[in-house]
Amino acid sequence: MPEPATALARYRRMAAMRAFDEACLEALRRKAIHGELHVGLGQEAIGAGMAEALRPEDAVVSTHRNHFHALAKGVDRRALLAEICEREAGLCRGRGGHMHPFDPETNFSATGIVGASLPVALGYAHAFRMRGEDAVAVGVTGDGGSHTGGFHEAMVMAGAARLPMVVLVENNALAISVNFEDVSPTNTISERASAYAAKGLRVDGTDVDAVAEGFAEAMGHARAGKGPVILEATCHRFRGHFEGDPEGYRSREERQRLREEFDPIALYGARLADAGLAEPALQEAIEAEEKAAMKEILQEVLALPMPEASGALLYRFVEEAPA
Amino acid sequence: MNAVDRPNDRLAMPLPATIAEAIALEMERDEAILCIGEDIGRAGGVFGATRGLQERFGKNRVMDAPIAEMGFAGMGVGLAQAGMRPLIEIMFVDFIGVCLEQMYNAAAKIPYMSGGRQRMPMVFKTAGGCIGSAAQHSQCLWGLFAHLPGFKVVAPCSPYDHKGLMAAALRSDDPVVFIEHKALLLRKGRDFRHHPDVPDEAYTLPIGKASTVREGSDVTLATLSATVEHALAAAEMVTEDGISVEVIDLRSVVPLDTSTVAESAGRTGRLLVVDEDYLSFGLSAELSMRVLEKLGFSALQQVERLAVPDVPIPAALTLERAVVPGPEMIADTLRKMAKGA
Repeated sequence: MPEPATALARYRRMAAMRAFDEACLEALRRKAIHGELHVGLGQEAIGAGMAEALRPEDAVVSTHRNHFHALAKGVDRRALLAEICEREAGLCRGRGGHMHPFDPETNFSATGIVGASLPVALGYAHAFRMRGEDAVAVGVTGDGGSHTGGFHEAMVMAGAARLPMVVLVENNALAISVNFEDVSPTNTISERASAYAAKGLRVDGTDVDAVAEGFAEAMGHARAGKGPVILEATCHRFRGHFEGDPEGYRSREERQRLREEFDPIALYGARLADAGLAEPALQEAIEAEEKAAMKEILQEVLALPMPEASGALLYRFVEEAPA
Repeated sequence: MNAVDRPNDRLAMPLPATIAEAIALEMERDEAILCIGEDIGRAGGVFGATRGLQERFGKNRVMDAPIAEMGFAGMGVGLAQAGMRPLIEIMFVDFIGVCLEQMYNAAAKIPYMSGGRQRMPMVFKTAGGCIGSAAQHSQCLWGLFAHLPGFKVVAPCSPYDHKGLMAAALRSDDPVVFIEHKALLLRKGRDFRHHPDVPDEAYTLPIGKASTVREGSDVTLATLSATVEHALAAAEMVTEDGISVEVIDLRSVVPLDTSTVAESAGRTGRLLVVDEDYLSFGLSAELSMRVLEKLGFSALQQVERLAVPDVPIPAALTLERAVVPGPEMIADTLRKMAKGA
């Protein structure tokens, strides 16, 4: 068990992340998001577990399911929510949307293409090494992304040059509908690390303490110049691949069981209560505070103007940026 | 105009050496520039266009990559996001199929997707064009890159333009696809019909500005890359037929300098667009249409186009000559156009 203050901070981070994605779901219900939405409910422990070991100078390149990683990296949640809600005041002026947030100030970016995050993270890692900085590049992907050519190519290059890169694999065992065990040549993803002269770590991604410890170890290893790390965090996706996914590949009962057995917030809450660190009433209060904060932010965001249609062609090239 | 008569030691220099010089000058003035690609370091590039750079700037800035184009193209995106200015070499443009994802979904779109907050200063340097290497090593593909929003697409011809446009590409904050032509990379300065001489110092040329390389009054011929040389040869051939051809080197596909072409075509009344890339949905139709939109649909007497007729490039020389526009094919078209007057 970590220090009480650390434990409570982890709990609050998870609550804040869940509240964020619940606000996204509410925005979707209010038709403020007109495209695909991929929420991370059930995977809060991974985002929250990353936050402590990330430094401002580190880079994170995330996936289509990127909200928690963005929050962990310190991206402003109001600007992020405004982007997800397609507003001109959003992080990317409403041009990116929820799959494509880019924040040069915090070195955070993402891609909607599965597996494509890792080569980009490799570039950050090479830049850090060249400039003699001790920053680390984190590329996030999932079990699906671990099967792409980009995963292999990025690991070959990172391993050969011992670059400061951590590949965080959120293994929720489902690539949309395809079961991990049906397509993976290995039982785990972390065991592939030895093929790339990388360190392999595997943690329970529903346990925020385990993630925080494993992520800190991975970042320490990479930062010390010992080469790349594949950190596999097993987890469960509570909702569909996207909002509206009919989920014909699993039963309602199965989904219910996952929520009951693997909710990272409930699991951590029970542990905090057992250790006498936070009674259920305090936990509920934390969750209520985070929920209220997001509710207020959502209200403000929904009042913001949409981008003007006349600006649809701006920002393709440098000379098109308004003066 | 005969290059051989002009005393200039530049004339003995292979085109790739001029390109390497342009890159070296930019690397000297900006430490953020680095080069990544296959065989660009120890070997100095398969055509020699990065020769000497690794000895000069070290392995970190001139990096031999494994055959992992998806990996190092995406690496370029990450480097650019981290504040560097990478030049990524894809040896032959035909190989972009394995890394197009990082090019068109990341490099080309991120400036827009980020609302202009993330710049993407990177150059994809690659070699295209026909030298008898058949279907998988002969394409141009600039029309493909031009079709995908977000790239600037440059394909120079003369040594002078190669040096100035490479410098401009490396100083650009937008992603630039810089397509060299393999047949030109095998030439020395003196082999070029126009602008073979190159100043020693660094200079830039504006990306998106065409260059009129031969003045004429009967037909306007717009093209780019190695076909400019063929066009100049064809224009020379048809002088015997009394046909005066104005040849415009477009130099870039994005931006496309419609104004220069329209101004010329408006004067000559006839436009021929010649393209070594595929015919359909490509540069030839796009440029013709833009010129007509600019001048009005009745402004020209004739608009013709000549390009690879939607077929993979064949291996046999007889077949290759039948589909890739060369001097004779261009001259024939010019004569037909003049007769049609």
